[in-house]
Amino acid sequence: MTDKSDGIDEESGALPSRRVVLALGAAAASTVVTIRPALAQTAGSVLNCEIPVPAPQAGAGQFIAADGTLVPAGTAGAYPPLARPLKGEEVRAMLNSGRAPAGVDSQAAQAYANYIRRLQAGMSGFTCYASLQMPR
Amino acid sequence: MAASLYAADPPETIRTAEVEGLTLLYHRKSGLTHFLAPPAPQILAALAGGPASASEIASRIAKTFDIESEDPAAAIGARLAELEAAGLVWRT
Repeated sequence: MTDKSDGIDEESGALPSRRVVLALGAAAASTVVTIRPALAQTAGSVLNCEIPVPAPQAGAGQFIAADGTLVPAGTAGAYPPLARPLKGEEVRAMLNSGRAPAGVDSQAAQAYANYIRRLQAGMSGFTCYASLQMPR
Repeated sequence: MAASLYAADPPETIRTAEVEGLTLLYHRKSGLTHFLAPPAPQILAALAGGPASASEIASRIAKTFDIESEDPAAAIGARLAELEAAGLVWRT
């Protein structure tokens, strides 16, 4: 960088702004490495992560059909959004043994489980869901 | 086609620590820990100002840093894809 000065500007006497150069890197470079729960996390922290059903950005207020897809509110046979996000521990029990979270009936829990199985990268709760799938 | 807008969780939902030029980031919601190299932490910091497109993020970063890239928006876009895959940003 030739346009930067490290000294005091002799004419004005002002301190120069010392801006840091930030290289954005090549498209193929990697800048994010995730430490997987099996290496870095205790069981407790993974089981305490949360999954909103549905994700706010996916369609707040929409109902969840039995197959896990989002449908307009009030659709027959579909279930309303959960008032609270599910804890990782509840999701694990629901996915592995079909055990419904407290206050949720078993058929609705199946729909919510199917919704969670359809989560994709970038949606709220996906990282939590992915973490629960990791072997420990 | 309108450019995608990206959002990130607010800064209070993460914990960060600087380690030898890298940023160690703990994401409370997922319980996952990530190692981030520049410019990923700067992108997350830029998104603390609200959802933004790749070019807007580049503009926000340029207020603090001299950006070194032939195509800042494309480079930011590539970094955003990584952050999205890690669950640290999402499209609005």
